[in-house]
Amino acid sequence: MGSTDSASLGLASPSLNAAELARLERSVRKGYELRRVRYALWGMAPVVVILVVALSVGQRAGSTLAFGLATLAVGAVLLWYGRDPQKAVLPGVAAGLVPLVLSLCANHVHMCGPEGCSTLCMPACAVGGVVAGLAVARVGNRRKAGVWFWLSASSLAILTGAMGCACIGYSGVMGLGLGFGAGVVPGLLRRLRSREKALDA
Amino acid sequence: MTNDPSSLDALMARLAEGDRTVFRQVFQLVWGPVLRLCASYLHNEADASDAAQEAMHKILERASDYDKTRPALPWAMALAAWECRTQLRKRSRRRESYEVPSDQAGPDVEQALLERDVVRAALSALGELSETDRETLLATFWDEAASVSGATLRKRRERAFERLRATFRRLYGVD
Repeated sequence: MGSTDSASLGLASPSLNAAELARLERSVRKGYELRRVRYALWGMAPVVVILVVALSVGQRAGSTLAFGLATLAVGAVLLWYGRDPQKAVLPGVAAGLVPLVLSLCANHVHMCGPEGCSTLCMPACAVGGVVAGLAVARVGNRRKAGVWFWLSASSLAILTGAMGCACIGYSGVMGLGLGFGAGVVPGLLRRLRSREKALDA
Repeated sequence: MTNDPSSLDALMARLAEGDRTVFRQVFQLVWGPVLRLCASYLHNEADASDAAQEAMHKILERASDYDKTRPALPWAMALAAWECRTQLRKRSRRRESYEVPSDQAGPDVEQALLERDVVRAALSALGELSETDRETLLATFWDEAASVSGATLRKRRERAFERLRATFRRLYGVD
């Protein structure tokens, strides 16, 4: 709808013609978007704290930083965009904290056998991933959320968890991903089945 | 609050959640009342237009803060009224005087000037109140559904009027 439409709707006033009104609308829209960007950046402030803690406790600063920045970027975009993806930010990050905390703790615990010592990072990431997947599935099912919620929450949970799971390289992240998949898929299938039933009825 | 999906309340709620498809509709629904409000407060087309434009910026910038449980129009009007008050303050700071041309002087013009002064005084008093009080009184003025109803609304309105009266008395020494 352009300026002509504004005029036809009788919105233009003697002091503001249709073109000026259209210009005002554009400028107001810009203000709206900028405000949302500001909110999104403030909304991701807790993740900055999580990233700093992960960097100080973790052992692979490079990968932790990379995944942390990716989490911040994805989270900020989702918060700015709004709607379903915005609602997925908190559950996604909260679910991702489980593998993150488990892996950071496991990093400091060693298991020694006849073949040498190894950290518990991989099992911690896999177990944390399963818990995170179950948590996302539970929230998604309870909210009867759409596909964008599932995708957004899952990606944020994996990115958050990956800040810690990169402790043994990308195999840790793979473990997290597989665990997450194992946790989230049953819930996702249940959601799809209930949706099909609702459509049939 | 109404459940009509095309109502301003519903559209504002969608915009607050980030649904940009309703932005233009909200803009169009709010612009008219905001401009009318500013025109009735400021009695000067240029000032009213400036205040209304500034108010539209404030209202839609804060759209993401909009509380879905409250009616949208009084919320928007409260922000617009605040902008009008700011504009009035600016005007008085500039010491702008809108002198009545001698050929237009008469009882009608005097009445209009008197009304303008009363509106200005009321607006200043309104600006001293809390946001809830302002919203309640503006909802009453615009005959809009408020965020509460029944006895709570009556009580809230009564208290808001009392506070407005007390503020007016404090500022101008008269009821």
